[in-house]
Amino acid sequence: MEIYLPIAQMSVHWLAILAMGFAVGFLSGVFGIGGGFLLTPLLIFYGIPPGVAVATTASQVSGVTFSGVLAHWKRRTVDFKMGGVMMVAGLFGTAFGVWLFSVFRRMGQAEFAVSSSYVVLLGTVGGIMLNESVRTWRAQRRGQSASLRRSGQHNWIHGLPLKMRFRQSRLYISAIPPVVLGFAVGIFSGLLGVGGAFIMVPAMIYLLRMPTNVVVGTSLFQVLFVTAVATILHAVDNHTVDIVLALILILGGVFGVQYGVRAGAKLRGEQLRFLLALLVLAVAARLFYEMAMRPADLYSLSSGAP
Amino acid sequence: MKRAALALLLLAAPAFGAESLTSGLSQDSVEITSNYNGTDIIVFGAIEEPGEGKIGDVVVIVRGPDTLMTVRRKDRIAGIWMNDARARVVVPSYYFVSATKPLAEIASRDTLSRYEVGISHLHADPEASDGDPGPYVAALVRAQARSGLYRESPSGVEWMSRTLFRARVPVPASVPPGSYNVEVYLFHQGDVVSAQSWPLYIDQTGFERRLFDFAGSSPLLYGVSTVLMAVLLGWGSTFFFRRRA
Repeated sequence: MEIYLPIAQMSVHWLAILAMGFAVGFLSGVFGIGGGFLLTPLLIFYGIPPGVAVATTASQVSGVTFSGVLAHWKRRTVDFKMGGVMMVAGLFGTAFGVWLFSVFRRMGQAEFAVSSSYVVLLGTVGGIMLNESVRTWRAQRRGQSASLRRSGQHNWIHGLPLKMRFRQSRLYISAIPPVVLGFAVGIFSGLLGVGGAFIMVPAMIYLLRMPTNVVVGTSLFQVLFVTAVATILHAVDNHTVDIVLALILILGGVFGVQYGVRAGAKLRGEQLRFLLALLVLAVAARLFYEMAMRPADLYSLSSGAP
Repeated sequence: MKRAALALLLLAAPAFGAESLTSGLSQDSVEITSNYNGTDIIVFGAIEEPGEGKIGDVVVIVRGPDTLMTVRRKDRIAGIWMNDARARVVVPSYYFVSATKPLAEIASRDTLSRYEVGISHLHADPEASDGDPGPYVAALVRAQARSGLYRESPSGVEWMSRTLFRARVPVPASVPPGSYNVEVYLFHQGDVVSAQSWPLYIDQTGFERRLFDFAGSSPLLYGVSTVLMAVLLGWGSTFFFRRRA
């Protein structure tokens, strides 16, 4: 059955949209990612205008992550202190990212900026994760205890000032790395319309050395707030948030995420990272392919004069 | 320019005397509701002619509101295809033309161009950053035709009898809302002898309309409501699952 979207001003098949929401919600629950980097390209591929796709994805991600945050809260796997520090920095980053996006849009390079940022980010993050998870896996097969958390081993992060105690993560580290990380991820949220967990999760694991089980819940917590703010900023600045589209996506997504969280609990940490790495690399490869291949139509159309 | 020509013609029309035109629309407004999936409107009419002479040719044109469009061309820069040059044109957001026979057989290029009859005769007035606007306009027409917004139907006006005609105008789901204009021309021996023009309103109604207005008039509240709705749905789903678990 077709349903008309008042902001996108087009009609869509609501079952297809519901299925997209469910699929992305499921992955979101498994990996503790918002899923924005999958949903935005999917919606654009379906024919939703890119502006609406980016802005509405942000609202879907906040809805889906909320149920995820609750699920992890019950399991006591959210570090609210760590998430709070990152969130505050992330809000400033998001505002900066939204401003950056408008600059690129005026130059007519929004599409290029988004695609190339995706390729570089996803390619780098995916590559690092794949490499690490495969090494851990192999080490375990050989019977070694290759624990990811090399406790007692200090890196440069431990030399920084302004130390804070994050009890849930069993860490005593400087507040500077989480702030920088939160801000940087916020920029990508504003620019790409994604939660940024796909950068956050690996950075928390490899840079901050947080325990994997806390990482997922904490990143969901941070993503919830950043995407909520991104939704409001997009609604005010660009009038591109479609509440009907969001409703269908969220309905699919919240159920998907519940099944996803259950499925994710059955997998081991390095298996999760291996699968997430493959997913991230696949999206990066697809986007790079699109940029490098001659497009079917060299010309593109947009209304107005951005 | 074109509208002025039409107005002048409407004033002068009775002077042509011989043949004249009466027409109407099946509906004067299209309401876009939640299950809107495109519709058809019917333009119909009759030729009033005193003698038994040959009946002229009827052309039906439907135009959407004019909008500013930006067309960008991608070029290969360092192995990557990215937007390079661009053109800006002011064109109707929707354009449909239909006639009783192919346009080229109805009137000369000059005449067709004067009344903007036919997609190729639209006065786009393009301005391109790299000089030649031709390819940009062609690309725009291609893109609009793909989404069903520009359409030429050479023999879409059918004769119901010797003097009665009818044309079906498709209004696809992707039409931009606004104030449209339906123009009906009667050509005789290559010239317009009679013309009529009707307004057609395409607008969102009901719940969709209220959401659209809400998003435009108080965007902050709209954004906050969207987030609240999202969070409440997320919250509600956990209750659903808790009961089942």
